[in-house]
Formats: sequence, structure tokens, C-alpha cells
Amino acid sequence: MDAFRVLLVDDEEEFLETLVKRLTKRKLTVAGRNNAQDAIAFLKENPVDVVVLDVKMPGMDGLEALREIKRCNPMVEVIMLTGHANMEVAIQGMELGAFDYLMKPMDIDELLYKLQDAFQKKQLRERGAEPAGPKSYS
Amino acid sequence: MSKLLDFFKRFRKHKDELSAEAVEELRAAFKARYHNFKLLLAANNKALEIMSEMEQALRGSRPFGMSFVRANSTAVGVNVFRIVKNLDELAPNKYEALYERFRHIQEQINTVLSQRTAPKGEHLVLPFSKIDKNLADQTGSKMANVGELYNHLNLRVPLGFVITAQAYRRFFEHNDLQHEIDRRLQSTEAENLDELYALSADIQQLIIRSKVPEDLQQAILEEYAELEKVHGEGVKVSMRSSALGEDAADTSFAGQYRSELNVSSDYLIESYREIVASKYSLQAISYRQNRGILDEDISMCVGCMVMVDAVAGGVTYSRNPLNIRDDSVIINSVWGLPKSVVDGSVAPDEFVVSRQEPLTIQERHVKPKHQRFVCYPDEGVCRLEETGERSDLPSLDDGQIVELARIALRLEAYYGTSQDVEWAIDQRGAIFILQCRPLKQMEAMSGRQRGTGVEIAPEAVLVKGGSTASSGVAVGSIFVVRKNSDALSFPAGGVLVAAQALPRWAALLSRASAVITEQGSVAGHLANVAREFGVPALFGLDGATELLPQGAEVTVDADGLCVYRGRIEELLVQTEPRKNLMEGSPVHEVLKEVSQHIIPLYLLDPDSTDFRPRSCRTLHDITRFCHEKSVKEMFNFGKEHHFSERASKQLWCDVPMQWWFINLDDGFKEDVPGKFVQLDSIVSIPVLALWEGINAIPWEGPPPVDTRGFMSVLLEASANPALDPSMPSHYTNRNYFMISKNFCSLSSRFGFHFSTIETLVGDRPSENYISFQFKGGAADYNRRLRRAQFLASILEEFGFRVEIKEDGVFARLEGYDEDFMKEKLRILGYLLMHTRQLDMIMANESAYNHHRCKMLADIGSILDRAISHGNECHAS
Repeated sequence: MDAFRVLLVDDEEEFLETLVKRLTKRKLTVAGRNNAQDAIAFLKENPVDVVVLDVKMPGMDGLEALREIKRCNPMVEVIMLTGHANMEVAIQGMELGAFDYLMKPMDIDELLYKLQDAFQKKQLRERGAEPAGPKSYS
Repeated sequence: MSKLLDFFKRFRKHKDELSAEAVEELRAAFKARYHNFKLLLAANNKALEIMSEMEQALRGSRPFGMSFVRANSTAVGVNVFRIVKNLDELAPNKYEALYERFRHIQEQINTVLSQRTAPKGEHLVLPFSKIDKNLADQTGSKMANVGELYNHLNLRVPLGFVITAQAYRRFFEHNDLQHEIDRRLQSTEAENLDELYALSADIQQLIIRSKVPEDLQQAILEEYAELEKVHGEGVKVSMRSSALGEDAADTSFAGQYRSELNVSSDYLIESYREIVASKYSLQAISYRQNRGILDEDISMCVGCMVMVDAVAGGVTYSRNPLNIRDDSVIINSVWGLPKSVVDGSVAPDEFVVSRQEPLTIQERHVKPKHQRFVCYPDEGVCRLEETGERSDLPSLDDGQIVELARIALRLEAYYGTSQDVEWAIDQRGAIFILQCRPLKQMEAMSGRQRGTGVEIAPEAVLVKGGSTASSGVAVGSIFVVRKNSDALSFPAGGVLVAAQALPRWAALLSRASAVITEQGSVAGHLANVAREFGVPALFGLDGATELLPQGAEVTVDADGLCVYRGRIEELLVQTEPRKNLMEGSPVHEVLKEVSQHIIPLYLLDPDSTDFRPRSCRTLHDITRFCHEKSVKEMFNFGKEHHFSERASKQLWCDVPMQWWFINLDDGFKEDVPGKFVQLDSIVSIPVLALWEGINAIPWEGPPPVDTRGFMSVLLEASANPALDPSMPSHYTNRNYFMISKNFCSLSSRFGFHFSTIETLVGDRPSENYISFQFKGGAADYNRRLRRAQFLASILEEFGFRVEIKEDGVFARLEGYDEDFMKEKLRILGYLLMHTRQLDMIMANESAYNHHRCKMLADIGSILDRAISHGNECHAS
């Protein structure tokens, strides 16, 4: 699979740092931000394929951040990540269009698979949404 | 996706004039569909996996906490939602009703998970004078009891107050601790002791570093000032945990938390934090896990009472804790503070008093007491080595012994149940009651009489002696723990050997097969917990840490007071199975309730009119429904769109074969025009593996049928129209493969037998799976049943998880690498061909065994290795 661009958003600095390193080793282009505002600002300047978003961070709430990201970048896929399993938040996130909801601790390979799946989904959607796509026929 | 559908419909009108561009689009559309389908399958598998994990947990064989329940309910919810969403993309709006069903079930689950409410109470601190048993939900039962003694029994109790459950909540909320703790609990593998140890240290540090809010500090210091008014400035206090919420599961955990003795006013707040932190000691966390107690249900209240500078101290049991039929009062006593009785570090004096008036001392066992704990003048306690003759003198005089017995009997009468009473005697000889709680008596010998029946060679004896702290027999390898860190490498099933019966070893009890200590009271905490967990324990076995060789396998007979070399089967047959400690616990109850909305499967028959979204009652129903429909949607979509590349192709191997292939994505090496496909165009990994198995051993034609077998086939076929092969079914009477490079879904029908194989084999081991179903058959029910059992037994032999429902066989296997999965698929391919008409020869046991041996031998040759198949095969 091609290298693709991932943005990790998590307020736990140590966790974030390690994850950026480990995913970079797996040939992804990875950036990290430790809060939602910075992440949204980053997305405005830089193209990203998949965002991994911690659902519970100080400052902007994770669901709010998800809504904002989806509003500004509808094509980007978002995987939610959390240390606090909460079914309501999880399903709300999924309804808002998150690709998946993962719980810590997660296996790095599992995360990588999810990232790949999300990226492939994004590619397929983009292809479908090209000007020659279904829209022009309907 | 709905737009795609319109797009295809338009195409159908002029399907013969597809431009190159349109072909490209169709390919992309198929690709997107396939990706969706694959995501659906992955979520489907994940959901089933989690359900089976929850089911296992329900059986209670291993401990789990609320974070397990919450994480798994959430994960299953997320995956089922993904399934619904993916199906909705495959067939836009067609199954929309599922969303409503899903939401409904989700709400029910949420209700169960959130219905636990915190107890009320507004006081941050309460003096003993205002406490009695009715305030247990504000002060914890230990301190409520102390208040009861003080206010209603007029017993001599040191003055004091309680820092309440409300204070605990205030402290936790002020620092948002519960969220952070839940997060850390969720992130830790409960079964890994190292991780648990690090977790415990982390959480305790977190609590100790947190700020006690000003108002709470103020309240504590004000109550302390009241004590100073009576006992003088700078009076020292003891601070004890009084946990709230553990009574529910009939537990004996009290005392495993921290207590601070002889605390000065400067350290009140610090000690408070440390005691609260001890809620997360290693033994407390693992205890809660093992007993299914909810973390958030436990509030740590802390009792703060004026310190008694004890000359002697100890514990009174109003009845013999080790023998339910013995009603004598038993007093354990030491010099100095009672601490060493409670933690089992010194063998105490023991006095036995008969309960009949006049109370008489019946037995005196005065032990050498080489250590005692005393208060330092400024703060804290220290251990003094006791030399000289005082160590051998009785720590109580007769008057005190009788008085203590009398108090214990009075408490027993008041509470209506036997009591465990901790006390101290001050410099003037006055007795102070420090706490009391219900005593749990042990069933003597647990029904087994000592020394009956079994004769064991004397040379097998390794060590003899000690006393029974917990009844039973167990076998395991010796593991001597000397320091704290030894605990981390304690092996599951080991025999725990320690010099002292310290409470901290309790964290190992869920993994230990038995416990042996050199010192320690059989009434102490470790003994209590051992009994609660049903772990045989032998205490007071002199020299055990030296005499028992590390790593040696031994049989511990706690009732027979003996440790034997090796495994003594004769003793082991008498052991009772370990209790399921999760059963009935609060966490288990929550899981049980939640599971009702997740695990049961009500939608069984896809051909029933009831097989529709509205009938889905559980997440499993939704999962099942979506899976069935998604496969159907994938199958029909290709047919509806007349896209040659994706239409079904008949296999051509010299001649046309009865196998049809639908390429979902990348299952063919190149585009295959026309009606036929050659085997060498197929690059699907699972198909090729299956095919190898299908062709490995030529089928010898239908097995010879006895006349009754043949008759049975004819009769069933005429009686049951559903079995008539000429009846239309989902895939008509053909063998269909839907394939991609890594995926294959096979529906096949041979005669009367209907089977499906669905499998994904790729480079993500965690996503690989095989699911196999085999149903139908024309012979009578008993023969079909026997065939199902036959097939199940073979599949189980090769590592499948198999379930038999009536005459159907359902087998699954997941999570292995590509080579392993391919091997299993070869076996399935073989079975697919060779079990087709086995039900006809399933009349008797010998035919059963004969075929089993033949098949195992065949499979062995396919896998190129010998398969061990039991003795019955060599005989034939």
C-alpha cells in the first residue's frame, strides 16, 4: 500500500510521541498534535488522509473536534481512540461519520490495519466522487 | 452509494455499449462494494469474537472488572454499528430499520451500565458520637460498628471521628481522579502481574500527589482539634480504612487496606491520602477483580481515633473460626500493639475460654514472642526485639482473659452473630475495643475426615506439621517468596511458600494452588482470603522455606498437615472444585444483564418470514441478519448488473465442472472473458487451498449402503420437500464460489447436503478466519446426528471451535497466519468431498470408527504427517 498521511491527536505526550515514532517506522507520513485546536489548524494547512483522534482531551471535546474536522475536511477519515470506553460517545462518533472507535491499549498492528482500511476507503470514495462519478449520471 | 445504484440501472438500458471509461467506473464501483463487504466481514468477526469472550467471562472461570464489561459492550456496539452501516452502503436504505433496532438495543445496554448510583450523605467528617450502624453508607461498616459500640453498648472505645464517603467523593471529584483511574485500569492486562503491579504503584502515586481540597482539610483539622480538647494538644491518632461497598459479595477483605498508627497532627492529611490510595494496592485491585467488585462502588472512608499506647493487644474470636462446631471463645494476644496478630508476623499466645458461666479458661498456649510493636514518642511505631524472660510470659492475666471473653460474648449477643474483635490494653490496664466485625467460621475438614481411607507411603512425606488455615488438597510446584519482587514472577498454579503469612501475599492467591507459611495466624487475613478463594493453606510449618525445594512438584494436604513429594492422586481425587468467585458478584450481575441484549441469537432461520430487521432483539441477531443479507447482496449485485467481468464463470478443467466462480475483486489473475474460467486463472489463496483438499484423495463414489440406510434416504427425501435437490434455494443447486485474492465464500450443495465455507486468508493473522457450516442430509435424524458428531469430532481434532445444533455443524477458527489457515482449508476441502453421504453409513459404532480412522489417515497424508488418532484405529 502507498505511504499515506496520518495525523495523531492525543493529549498524552508520551503516548503520542511513541506512536508517531512507531507508525513512522511503518512507512507512514505521521504528524502529532496534542490538542484538538492545533490539530484542526494543522489540517487546514496540510493534506491528511486519516486522523486518529483521542476522544477525551482537555479543551475541545473529542466529538466536537470530530464534527469540526468532518465539516472542514469531509473526505478525511477519522478513527477515534480512547482510554475511556463509553458506548454512547462511541456510537455518537460513529454516527458523525467516524471510521472506527478503538480502545487503548491497542495493538500497533491492529491500528495499522485500521489505518490502511480507512485510507483505502477514502481512496475508493474519492474515486467515486470524481466529476465522472455517479453524481453526473443522477 | 445509492447514486451508484442509479448509475447501474441506467447502464442496464444500454449494457452492450459500455465505454472503456464506464468499464473503469464499474470496476471501481465493484471495488468499493467489495471493500465495504470486507469491512463488514471484519466487523462481523470482531463482534462474534467479543461475544464469545463475554460468554466465557460469564462462565466465570477468570476474574474481570467493570472495565472489561464496559470495554467489551462498547466494542461489540461499535462493531455491530459498523456492520449495519456497511450493509446500508451495500444496499442503500433497504435495511434502514436496523438503525432503529440498534439504537433501541443500545439504549437498553446503556441503562444497565449507568444505573449504578452513588450513595448520599452531606458530612465530610462525623465524630463517633454521631455515628451508629445506620450510617454505614456514609462511614463504611467498620467505623459504623465502632460508633455503635461507643454509643449503644457503652464499651470503652478511643475517641475519634470518621472522614466519610462524601469526603472521598469530594477528594476524587476535586482532582477528577476516577476518570484517570478508569483509563489506567482499562489499559492494563489484568492477568499480567508485572503490569498490575506497575499500575497499582502508578495509581497510588497519582492519589498521593493529588490535592485534598481546602474545605476537607479544614473539616479534618477541626475534628482533630476536638480530640485535642479532651486528650491534650498534639494527641496521636490511629487512622484506619473503612471501605464502603464490599459487603455486597459476602467478602472478608476488611483489613487488607492500609492503616497508619500513631500519627501526629502534621501528617493527618498525608496519611489520609495514603490510606485512600491503598484502595489500589496490588492485593486490593486483584482481590476486587477476583471477586467481581466494582471499583467505583468502593468508597474509602477513614476512621481517625486516639492512639492507645498498648501494653498488650490482640484479637478475640467469639467462636472458633476454624471449626463451626466449636463454640469456645478464642483469644490471640501479644505484647505491645495488636498489629503483629493481625498481620500474622508473630505467633501469638492463644487462650481458649468456654462460653458457659462461669467463664473458665480451658487452654493456654503461651508462645515465645520475640518481637513487639510499640509507639514511638513522636510518631509512628517500631518493632522491638524482645529479649529476656518477658517474651515467654503470658501477655494477659486471667482477669483480662475472662473480661475479653465476656466482651466478645456480649458483642456476639448484640449483633446476633459470631464476632472478630480487635482490642488493646493501655498502660493502666484498661481494655479498649478498636473494632469488631462478623466472624466467618470455617467448615471443619470440609466434609473430609482426617486420615481416613488413604494410605500414603511414608517416604513420600517431605514435611509434616503446622495447622490448617484453609482446608483442601492441591498439587503444584514450590515457589518460595522472600521479598516483594519475588511475587512478580510467581507462576500460575504454584505452591506459595513464605516465611510469614503477610497480607500482601493475598494478591497471589488467585494464581496459587496452595499456600504454606512458617509463621502466621490461621485467623489472620491471608488465611481468611485463602479460605474465601478455596485455596488449601498450611500455616506454621517450621522451616518450610528451607525444606521445600524451589520448583519441586508437591502435593499439599492442608487437612492432613502434610506436604508430599510429587503428585498423590489418591489425595487429589477427594478435592472439591474451586468455587466460581465471580458468580453472583456485582460485576458478574452487570455482565449478565448486559449480555442479555447482546449474546442470545433468536434469528435462526434465514428462510423464515420472521427473518427481518424488526425481529432483531439482540446485537447478535443484527449481526446474523446483516451477515446473511450482505452475502446475498454481494451475490445478487453481480447478477443484476450484467457486467461480464463480474458475472459468474463456470470452472473448466478439461470439461465443464459443477463449480461457478464470481470474482468480487482480485480473485482472477486477469480479466476472464466468456462463460468459463480455467483453474490457472484463479489466484484466490483460500480457493486454491480448498481445491487441493478437494482433489487430494479421489472420492470412491458413494459408500456401500446397507439396505436400511438406503431406505432411510428414500423415506426422508419423500417426506421432506426442503431436502429435494430440485427445489430452488438461494444459490440454486450449484456450487458457488465468491472470491477475491484473500477471500472465498463457498456455498455448495451435493445431493442432500448443504454446506458453506467462508474464509479470509491474508497477511493480517488477526483478521484471518474460517467459518464452516454443514447441514441437511437425507438419512433419518439419528444418522444425521451421528454424522454431525462425526464431523465435529474431526474438526475439533484440528483446532476448530465446533458447535452442533441439531444435525447442523458450525465450526470456526480464527487468528492464525496464512500457512496455518491454508492447512485447515485443505482439511475442509477434503471433508467437503468425503463426508457427503456419510450419514448413510452412520448406522453403527464400528462403521463410525472405521471411517474416522480412514479419514484421519487421509488427512495425515494430505498434511504429509502422521496424525495420532487413538487406539481404536490401530485395532482396525
